[in-house]
Amino acid sequence: MNPATLIPTADTLTAHWGWFQLLLMLTFPLHLIAMNAMLGTTLTAFVAHLFPGRAHRELAHELAKALPFLVAFTINLGVAPLLFVNVIYGHLLYSSTVLMGLFWLAVIPILIIAYYLAYIYDFSFKKLGNLAMFVLLIVLVLLMSVGFIFSNNMTMMISPASWTRWFSTPGGSLLNLADPTLLSRYLHMMTGSLAVGGLCVALYSSVVLKHDKEVSEAGVKLGMQLFTWLTGLQLLVGTWFLLTLPSVIMKRFMGGTTVATGLLATGILLAFASLITGYQRRVMPTLWLTLPLVYVMSFMRDSVRTGYLTPYFDMTKVPANVQWSPLIFFLVTLVLGIGVIVWMLSRLQIFKKS
Amino acid sequence: MNYPVWFVPTFGGGLLIALVAIIHVFVSHFAVGGGLYLVMAERKAIKEKSQAIMDFVKKHTKFFMLLTMVFGGLTGVAIWFVISLIHPAATSLLIHTFVFGWAAEWVFFLVEIVALFVYFYTFGKMDDRTHQAIGWIYFGAAWMSLFLINGIIDFMLTPGSWISNSDFWSGFFNPTFWPSLFFRSFMSFMLAGCYGFLTATFLEDEATRHRMVRYSGTWALISLILSVPAGWWYLSVLPSPAAKLVSGASPTIKRAVMTGGFSLAVLAGVLIALILLNPKARIRCLIVAVMLSAMGYMGAFEWTREAARRPYVINEVMYSNGILKKDVERINQDGFLKNAKWVQNKEVTETNQLEAGRELFLHQCFACHTVGGFNNDIVSRTKNMSFGAMRKYLATIHEKRYFMPPFVGTDTELKALAAYLTAGLHKKPLTDDAGATGDHGKVLYEENCAACHSADSIKPKMKGWDLAKVRASLDKLPALNPAMPDYTAPPADKDAMAGYLFKLNNSGAAPAAKGQGASLYEENCAACHSMDQIKPKMTGWTRDKIRAALDKLSALNSAMPDYTGTPAEKDAMANYMAQQTGGAK
Repeated sequence: MNPATLIPTADTLTAHWGWFQLLLMLTFPLHLIAMNAMLGTTLTAFVAHLFPGRAHRELAHELAKALPFLVAFTINLGVAPLLFVNVIYGHLLYSSTVLMGLFWLAVIPILIIAYYLAYIYDFSFKKLGNLAMFVLLIVLVLLMSVGFIFSNNMTMMISPASWTRWFSTPGGSLLNLADPTLLSRYLHMMTGSLAVGGLCVALYSSVVLKHDKEVSEAGVKLGMQLFTWLTGLQLLVGTWFLLTLPSVIMKRFMGGTTVATGLLATGILLAFASLITGYQRRVMPTLWLTLPLVYVMSFMRDSVRTGYLTPYFDMTKVPANVQWSPLIFFLVTLVLGIGVIVWMLSRLQIFKKS
Repeated sequence: MNYPVWFVPTFGGGLLIALVAIIHVFVSHFAVGGGLYLVMAERKAIKEKSQAIMDFVKKHTKFFMLLTMVFGGLTGVAIWFVISLIHPAATSLLIHTFVFGWAAEWVFFLVEIVALFVYFYTFGKMDDRTHQAIGWIYFGAAWMSLFLINGIIDFMLTPGSWISNSDFWSGFFNPTFWPSLFFRSFMSFMLAGCYGFLTATFLEDEATRHRMVRYSGTWALISLILSVPAGWWYLSVLPSPAAKLVSGASPTIKRAVMTGGFSLAVLAGVLIALILLNPKARIRCLIVAVMLSAMGYMGAFEWTREAARRPYVINEVMYSNGILKKDVERINQDGFLKNAKWVQNKEVTETNQLEAGRELFLHQCFACHTVGGFNNDIVSRTKNMSFGAMRKYLATIHEKRYFMPPFVGTDTELKALAAYLTAGLHKKPLTDDAGATGDHGKVLYEENCAACHSADSIKPKMKGWDLAKVRASLDKLPALNPAMPDYTAPPADKDAMAGYLFKLNNSGAAPAAKGQGASLYEENCAACHSMDQIKPKMTGWTRDKIRAALDKLSALNSAMPDYTGTPAEKDAMANYMAQQTGGAK
């Protein structure tokens, strides 16, 4: 069976496809950053429990307070890119979602449990004692399993050749385990996430926790160590991922297309530079190198997706029935919303200063 | 047809959607109403300089944060996950149409999260005015989420002029938008009031407890009272098929609306009034009853809204099985399987009939019917029907039962589906003539009634009934049981079916043929000559002579067309005429 015949017809767009692509590429890295901070905070807090002494215990406690916020923002900031992915790639995504329905639905209870455990860790930190680190470990495993489910869906939606399995297994119990890129891709994402997460912890420790020097230093040290080691490891994992990609797609990054090759080169340069600043434990320079790196990485991810889908789908050919007013309504809402959020946070700053 | 189907035979997707949606509906409305309740209660605390009330509000805020942000937010995402799994085509249509509405809702969700965090963590650490402003922002953002989602949800029931112009705003501000917005707003205030009402009873300080019980109770009562006309307004603007379903065409919906809805509202109102008269009493079990009634009231409304758009998932646009109404005619011509993406049998052949039928079932019926499960089980619903009866039933399924989508495809495909539903599921023979005994009444019964009840199950209910009573009952089925639709067949068919039903309890009698014969005469002959007119012409004719004459009417009188009934029908008519003219058998 020709897998291309299974691909559903894409629905008409209500704006030029470029808008959705722009909004997707703009919001997805925000989700990544929040998700990285969430995973990094969980791991760092867990590691902090392994160290004796007040500073590490306090650090774990402080990180515990931040965790529920990070889960909330990760989920919220995930909604926007998922929405825009639904618009551009919905017909592909829904197909793979049906194939792995059971796992996809499991994301919700897993997140609910992880979220409540994060609150239990926060609100009952002292009561929990040594149990706290096990709570954290469960949270970490749960959150990373959500990442695994997402990796499966994101790789399956771009591989219609794997869809024919539905005819023999229609119960939603399929994963994409046979895909040679799955594991390397997942580990690439997780290594990167935990590394950036470590950096976020270092930033949080150096800015928010600076009133307690000992705790702040412990946080910066642990966070930056995590960042440097994992970014070093990433050079290996990332290369492995690149090599597992089908040669047509790999070649895009090896001179095949200028944009993809440029992105890879920029990514490697930024990674090396951040390794150096990270090793020197200079938080702010590392941050300014890593933020663009996250964007570069998500652009590369998009380029991989485009490569996979080239034989099957071209988003520029989807018909559009353009209506401007809803788009303007959203953009105005976005600007006003950001304004209100900034105002609220500014009140918070005033309160802090007073 | 455009998408694969998540096939878990015994577990229908509808149930899963209902489960997640119910949880989310309560939590999300609770969050909206809670936003207003918190700010107003905080204002009361500030005004009355009551630290006890302020503590009460703070405690509430924590609960709201944990419940609405975690559970509310995630169950909202869960609905999205579930509908894209169960109704991918509809989800895609909604997302593509309202993407910027949803995107704006995401912004409000973000503002809501930030505001609630700031509000909770700055209790007592921020000046009252600013803190109140943050509270108002929280409520405003939560209510705007409701405003936006309300437009999209109501679009599914009443797409309005969007159908013709595809305009975002036409679909958003659809006919039920405003009544639904009012209703939902009052509902959300009511839920929050009820919760405050319940938790206030736990306050230790007696004076504060009295004040907050009275405050929350009044809050809930006023919201409840205001929600009733809004709910009525909502029902009154429903378009005709939905309105018909709600007003009785679908008895289950009507039950939900009438008993589930308004009686619960009355119950909640009465209970609140009772407790308000005596705020000193700590009658928590009564308040729990109020809370449950309020939730039942809201649940009934939501259930009605969902059910009233049947057989569509987006009213008049897309059927529950994902087929667009506008495509039906084309697919009927071309064939469903040829147009479907996720099928292996692209056409029906003699060898693949059952397998093709199974694929048709999967794509056209499984959206609502489980296979051996507990939700609209297809196995139990088809067990009384023969292949022939099933074919006829499927051909007019939407006309007979409005809330079922029509079968979409060619006659050969319809036959394949009927084969799967009878031979495939029940190993029944694939003979074309349903009435193996040749009884027209039995065939009609299987086509029209057996989907819901077997002959065996209704036999005891008609014990002692004479033929006339059975026949009369077929004219007023909904009066017997509101769940039954009217049987809108010609009198002759009703006669035949009455005969069959009568025979169930009176096996020796043969009234069916009589009843059928009379009807056949009325249908085929009475337009030109009444029985009284032809009686004299047949004086002395035997029954056999009459029967023979029915085979050659044009020979008797060239103005008469030949009667083209089946031999059994001719027999029945001959019996009837012989009886009328006094002719011997």
